[in-house]
Amino acid sequence: MMGRSRAGKKRSSVGTTLIYIIVVIALIWALLPIIWMVLSSLKTQAGMFSMPPKFFFKPTFDTYRQMFSSTGNFGHYLWNSVVASVLSTIISLVLGTLGGFALARGNFKRESDLSFWVISTRMAPIPAVMLPLYLMFSKLGLIGTMTGLVFAYTTFNLPFALWIMMTFFKDIPPALEEAGMVDGCSKFEAFWRVTLPMAAPGLVATGILCLMFAWNDYSFASVFTGQSTQTVPVAASLLVSQEGVQWGQAMATGTIIILPMVIAGIFVRKYLVRGLSMGAVK
Amino acid sequence: MLTPSIVILAVISMVPFFYMIYASLMNYTVNPDQPTFYQLHNWVSILRDSTYWHSWERTAIFVIIGLAVELLVGTGIALAIYHIPKGRNLIVTLWMLPLFVAPIVTGLLGRFLLNTTYGMYAWFLQLVGIKTDILGTTSTAMPAIILMDVWEWTPLITIIVLAGLQSMPEEPLEAADVDGANYWAKLRYVILPLVSRTIVVALLIRSMDILRYVDTILITTEGGPADSTKTIGYYLVQVAFQFQDFGRAAAIGFTMLIVSIFLGRTFIRIFARGEQ
Repeated sequence: MMGRSRAGKKRSSVGTTLIYIIVVIALIWALLPIIWMVLSSLKTQAGMFSMPPKFFFKPTFDTYRQMFSSTGNFGHYLWNSVVASVLSTIISLVLGTLGGFALARGNFKRESDLSFWVISTRMAPIPAVMLPLYLMFSKLGLIGTMTGLVFAYTTFNLPFALWIMMTFFKDIPPALEEAGMVDGCSKFEAFWRVTLPMAAPGLVATGILCLMFAWNDYSFASVFTGQSTQTVPVAASLLVSQEGVQWGQAMATGTIIILPMVIAGIFVRKYLVRGLSMGAVK
Repeated sequence: MLTPSIVILAVISMVPFFYMIYASLMNYTVNPDQPTFYQLHNWVSILRDSTYWHSWERTAIFVIIGLAVELLVGTGIALAIYHIPKGRNLIVTLWMLPLFVAPIVTGLLGRFLLNTTYGMYAWFLQLVGIKTDILGTTSTAMPAIILMDVWEWTPLITIIVLAGLQSMPEEPLEAADVDGANYWAKLRYVILPLVSRTIVVALLIRSMDILRYVDTILITTEGGPADSTKTIGYYLVQVAFQFQDFGRAAAIGFTMLIVSIFLGRTFIRIFARGEQ
């Protein structure tokens, strides 16, 4: 990296030591809660609450075993979370890719209005979006159904996918498609065979971020789901709002919620800045 | 190809928007299933509602202090990582892990760590003589909520600013070296001006997002104690889903949208400038 050589020279050793100290403190601050959550989920009920904090102990998977045993509904909630986030991701990716491509290639007179509209749909405060959807869903009988939840997630994932895919398509020169069309491809074939494969890494990254936004949602799910359509974040919240907080299960549920997203997030690290800054920083 | 996506986008954005304007003119309190026309009563009532204004005030404190801390710390860590000679990728990966944590889990963790009898952070605080129930005391609940937001989202500022730092041109920095500028002068007159657009982008993205989520407050303080953490988003949820006063909630929601629309406009203007 070019930055490294530049930064490396002329740094006094005092400066470097200071930087390392800052970074170590920052990492402890960032990681300690996560480590503590995972450790707590592996402790016995009594061990969890013993202070001073213990970092070394004999781990037990009892909490997890209990959650997945036949008496618990946890497997069912997990399935609901997977279905809702995967379905909304697929819908958003298909429509977002087609729309994003058209937006990247088309000449729109009022492009800035259109892009503004897409951004504000994605960035609107969730409570303000939730309310009209709730009123409409109750009229349509969609409260407590999977369809309603998938639709709710699509309200933020589709504008996101559309917008980010547009920025990826803008990076691919249109000349390549034109060359394909000279060779006899139709416009759609040129898109399908030439442009889309080139945008594949962007597509995967967009998909993973859509999954994450839906998977991590609590607000929508808490209002739109019923007993049988509950998702994992809602289940987690119920563990602490009932009488007698079940911290062991809450920490295990938290671990299950974050684990797949941490792995997926590291996987798309390269595109994360772009995705989370709505394409403004590449 | 654009048509189906735009039609669906219109359905999922325009329809709720106009439905909210409609709802803000209706009275749902008598029978939520059969609202009646209410003229501008909901609007008048929120403008006279002291809790409404109090919620905006709490929101302003949450947003301004939260964003200021995130910006300072996030940029500081970005600079530290930028200047670190070795292991940069690993450090960035570890530092950004909180970004993937669901806000609801952040809240759960905050509650667990700050619990006065078995929370690890509360235990550390007790060691230095702080024995208050952090989330249960008016003066400390908001700082705790802000710190949860800082924990989760500061890495976003870092990775955006770091991307800006890594795409800086070499020449101005070399010129400053030739002139014998010290580090602080270089930072002030060369580095920060070069990454200023990126910092503004990071700030705008965060300011839209900080208004977006209420999950952490929902699972920790529920607006309390004594309304000290009642942000406007939480107030909307309460008016709508606890008091079932959907008309008034719609009026509140509309005013929230106006703020986020303003932020969105600013973002697009800066985005368009960067594209050219």
